[in-house]
Amino acid sequence: MRLRRSRPTGAVITLTPLVDVLLILLVFFMVTSRYLNLDMIPMVERGTAPGAPGPAAAPEARPLLLRLAADGGVVWRGEALGPAALTAALTARVAAHPETRVLVLPAGDADAQALVSLLERATRAGIADVRVVRLEDR
Amino acid sequence: MRLRRSPRRRAPETIVALIDVVFFLLVFFMLVGRLDATAPFEVTPPLATVGTDLPAGGVTVSVSETGALALDGRPVSRAALLAALRPRADAADGPPLVRINAHAAVALRVLLPLVTALEGIGMTTVVLVVTPNAA
Repeated sequence: MRLRRSRPTGAVITLTPLVDVLLILLVFFMVTSRYLNLDMIPMVERGTAPGAPGPAAAPEARPLLLRLAADGGVVWRGEALGPAALTAALTARVAAHPETRVLVLPAGDADAQALVSLLERATRAGIADVRVVRLEDR
Repeated sequence: MRLRRSPRRRAPETIVALIDVVFFLLVFFMLVGRLDATAPFEVTPPLATVGTDLPAGGVTVSVSETGALALDGRPVSRAALLAALRPRADAADGPPLVRINAHAAVALRVLLPLVTALEGIGMTTVVLVVTPNAA
């Protein structure tokens, strides 16, 4: 006669430590990460070679040249424009010539926020093509 | 004589359901978040309402208020930055997206030549990171 050992019952896996680990991971990620909501504005895009119209182009096809001053102000045709005046001027121009393009000539001392604000105003006024004259290294 | 009911056995809490919830939360946060190297300096991107959604991938160039640069979280000089990115412009799947994460107060004399230099080494897509402004 052969005796058989009674089968050992399998070790019970306790789930509590697993939950603990998961919870710690969760809390770790929630604490160490900063949630940033970020957008972008394209600066260089594929296939946007500037097709500058020559002097022979129709006057309305010539881009509007806006100067961005060092203090963040915008100068158009020699006169400084406040935000409201700029929006009004651009909107009027777009209403007359929907294809209006804008060329921004920034001062080196102006900050990034001033440039972004200007781009934003132009875009909101309905201008589809805004270009920035790049500064070269000194 | 008073009869007492035998106390009912409490139903065992199903700890499995709890694990499920915690696990889903964990996976959710890992999926919606994008792990990104943070710059070694403080960067507050400019505010804008007209930005578009920032796609994932690519390289991040951070620019501090004073013009210090960092590539994917590591501080670099400008020459080293361009040298590190130049070979990647010839990658088989095209040049990577370059995100410029610039401080809102950085002078354009720092920012714009950097964009020009990046374009000069063959980067065809360069974007400026902005913070959406609820306006």
